Amino acid sequence: MRFRTDFAKRYLSSRYGLAGLIMFLTMLIMALFAPVIAPYKPTDISHDMLSPPSKVHPFGTDHLGRDVFSRVVHGARVSLTVGFVAAGLSALIGIVIGALSGYIGGVFDEVISKIIDSFLMFPVFFLILIIVAVFGRNLVYIMLVIGLTTWPSNARIMRAQTMSIKEKAFVKIARANGESPTRIIFTHIIPNGMYPVVANSAMQIGGAILTEAALSFLGLGDPSVVSWGKMINDARSYMSFAWWSIVFPGIFTVITVVTFSFIGDGLQQALYPKLSEVRNE
Amino acid sequence: MKNIVLDVQDLSVHYRINKKVIRAVEDVSFKVEEGDFVGIVGESGSGKSTLAHTIIRLLPTNAMVVSGRIELLGYDVLSLGEEDMRKIRWKEFSMVFQKSLNALSPVHKVGNQLADAMKAHNPNLTEEEIIDRLKQLLRMVNLPERVLKAYPHQLSGGMMQRIMIALALLNHPKFIIFDEATTALDVVTQGQIIEEIKSLVKSLSLTGLVISHDLGVVSELCDEIVVMYAGRLVEHGTTEQILQQPLHPYTQGLVRSLPDFAQEKKKLSGIPGNLPDLSQPVHQCVFAPRCPIATEECFKTVPSTEEIDGRRVACLKVGARI
Amino acid sequence: MSLLNVKNLKKYYSAGLIKKRYSVKALDGVSFDVVPGEIFGVIGESGCGKTTLGLVLSRLERETSGEITFKGSKLSGTLKLDPETRRQIQIIFQNPYESFDPRLRIEQSLLLPMRINHICDNDAERREKILGYMKDAGFEPPDAFLNRYPHELSGGQLQRISIIRAMLLKPTFLVADECVSMLDLSVRASVVNLLLDLVERERTTVLFITHDLSLAGHVCDHIMVLYLGKMVELSTAKRIVESPLHPYTRVLMSYSPSIFKKREKINVKKLGVETAIGSGCVFEPRCPYSFEKCVEQMPPLIEIEPNHSVACWLYLKT
Repeated sequence: MRFRTDFAKRYLSSRYGLAGLIMFLTMLIMALFAPVIAPYKPTDISHDMLSPPSKVHPFGTDHLGRDVFSRVVHGARVSLTVGFVAAGLSALIGIVIGALSGYIGGVFDEVISKIIDSFLMFPVFFLILIIVAVFGRNLVYIMLVIGLTTWPSNARIMRAQTMSIKEKAFVKIARANGESPTRIIFTHIIPNGMYPVVANSAMQIGGAILTEAALSFLGLGDPSVVSWGKMINDARSYMSFAWWSIVFPGIFTVITVVTFSFIGDGLQQALYPKLSEVRNE
Repeated sequence: MKNIVLDVQDLSVHYRINKKVIRAVEDVSFKVEEGDFVGIVGESGSGKSTLAHTIIRLLPTNAMVVSGRIELLGYDVLSLGEEDMRKIRWKEFSMVFQKSLNALSPVHKVGNQLADAMKAHNPNLTEEEIIDRLKQLLRMVNLPERVLKAYPHQLSGGMMQRIMIALALLNHPKFIIFDEATTALDVVTQGQIIEEIKSLVKSLSLTGLVISHDLGVVSELCDEIVVMYAGRLVEHGTTEQILQQPLHPYTQGLVRSLPDFAQEKKKLSGIPGNLPDLSQPVHQCVFAPRCPIATEECFKTVPSTEEIDGRRVACLKVGARI
Repeated sequence: MSLLNVKNLKKYYSAGLIKKRYSVKALDGVSFDVVPGEIFGVIGESGCGKTTLGLVLSRLERETSGEITFKGSKLSGTLKLDPETRRQIQIIFQNPYESFDPRLRIEQSLLLPMRINHICDNDAERREKILGYMKDAGFEPPDAFLNRYPHELSGGQLQRISIIRAMLLKPTFLVADECVSMLDLSVRASVVNLLLDLVERERTTVLFITHDLSLAGHVCDHIMVLYLGKMVELSTAKRIVESPLHPYTRVLMSYSPSIFKKREKINVKKLGVETAIGSGCVFEPRCPYSFEKCVEQMPPLIEIEPNHSVACWLYLKT
């Protein structure tokens, strides 16, 4: 299908998009093959505490003698999971609510729009903080809460998309043909209008990873998993003399967020080629 | 013998799109004599707009003039430098486009924008002279003076198009191109503007081109018609010749496609088939695949433009009636 | 017995943010009858309400007031139709490129509506039927087109498929809104002729909306002329084309660019920057024949000859 190859071509022609994709694939391999890549188990304690980077421990060890490199590699699993599940949930809710709101219109749309607006003005991080504090420090909760609080931006994009697509002739013809509203929304509107939401979601993955890291840093992360935020939290007290225990997880967090922002950029460019090459028509 | 104002010779213009070469205009030649209006008629993809844009050198960056020569009012248009071109464009010759609404800034009054355009080309004029000239122009295009104080969005499509005509006439050009200038307008407004253009052209003794897909519009305004198909000139003759006795099968098909105010329901006639792929080089008559009288010969040779009875046709079967 | 009866149909669009400050009268009291099997033309310039009429009659938009009776039962009031009535009313739009879901192959775009409306028992039969229609419409070989995506076809091809899609559902009433105005002259015929062939074969009634008087004269049985949401003239196509009565129709006729008979242009009054329409005739601000009465009151639509109705004071003087 020409549309797809064109899309891929435009995406890859963006330098950011290409860089983001390569960085993402590297990270994905790291997460998938973590047990193979990591020389130690992330939870293995040794007597070699807070030792600087060396041949045996490329990123050094932390205060319990755990290998920082192995922990960073395993942390990628948690970060990517949190990012994808939370942003995926956010996209799913956003797309469905946005499409319904835009298609049905009227009072329903006005109520949803008001909810979206108030969510967008609300300092969501504090909401997440409270919910996690109340319901417990479990990775599943954290992902759910991030997903459930970040959908409004997706819903707003999808709503705008829906409003423009539903005025297109093919949707009107579908109505005249007797297709039900549910069918129209799921077979015509969402598949045609969801691409900008996907681009936004790529950026949201970075955001979700950062949120999880922030929660862990504040001591509200899931205690049973190895995450970059938690590593940074653990290393706080030693950072003046064991920089490696805090710098490496920090660098990886930043790289991951940048990766998804690059991917988002690439997707934007593939979606709206006009923005970047105005003269080339 | 009248002066020749525009002389286009063997013009070919190609576009480069996604590594493909689109042959928009191929080997087109024609002349326009002083005081004449020539209509360039063709359907989408015929290259008529590319031709017009080449003449006033307003082509997009991915277009290239592959061959040919254009002489307009004594200037060798294609070899002029960009700077020299800018000096004469809008002054010696100008153009009226179809999508005029986007041409003016929505946040400034029409009068100020027109005055600015005028000042840019005539820096020595005084404020009063400019206003006088603008008022005179508005009278010419039948607009009340108060449109000078209006914003573009307050004007109707017809008024905007009249403003655009006024703008094109601003610096007393000798040659003017109307590129689908009345296309987006309603029937009545279009008809009115055509009438106005007719009398303007006569009183200012202008020479020019009318680019349109509408044979009706062209036949109202022009003395001669050039018919284009897939980038090539297929027929060139007087309006009467083209409409009453078209020689090329494409022109014949086009004229027959027009519904007249017929009394009873009957089938419309058209031309079966589609426009050929312009990215493929053609070594046959471009119209052959859709032509009802094409023979083997037509699929082998590119017909040259032959002169017959004071008109020119590019068809191997010249004169054949269907 | 009429197939479709429209009484005093009105559609106002309100604009203005918080308070509904003003409204646009897209349709303002339109009444007419459509006879089964005929092609009923609706003529007018942009903004005359012809597209709105198509949307309201095909039940894609609700009317503000008025009554629509289709096959003896009331259609107006709600957009919810029973599936059978929904199938019987179909529509074709102006822009063929927008008429197809860009992500679906032509085959899917044609099969889906048939499945929903239980046309044929299975997909194999449906495909058979589609291929038959495609072949009749001049697609050769027809199955090569089914696997294509809309952007791979030309406007004329898409518009023909659009007609096929509507006609596969065997509608009784088809709205064709400017169905050839975006197409090149030389391919218009293939689209109009296909439409005429199919509606004749299936005895479908058509509401043919266009701005092109010569095309309407060619295709239609009756023609209704709309101006700014009001009906100004209604008669047989022959009468409208040969002896139009309303000044607007006559002006429209005289300005239609034609290569055939050059008509005497009727001069109309120029519209100013701000032309307000008061309580008078909608055409009064441009009408070359207007007099005092026209400024005061909109004339009613009166049948002044058999089968020929006009809304103009010129013909109601006595």
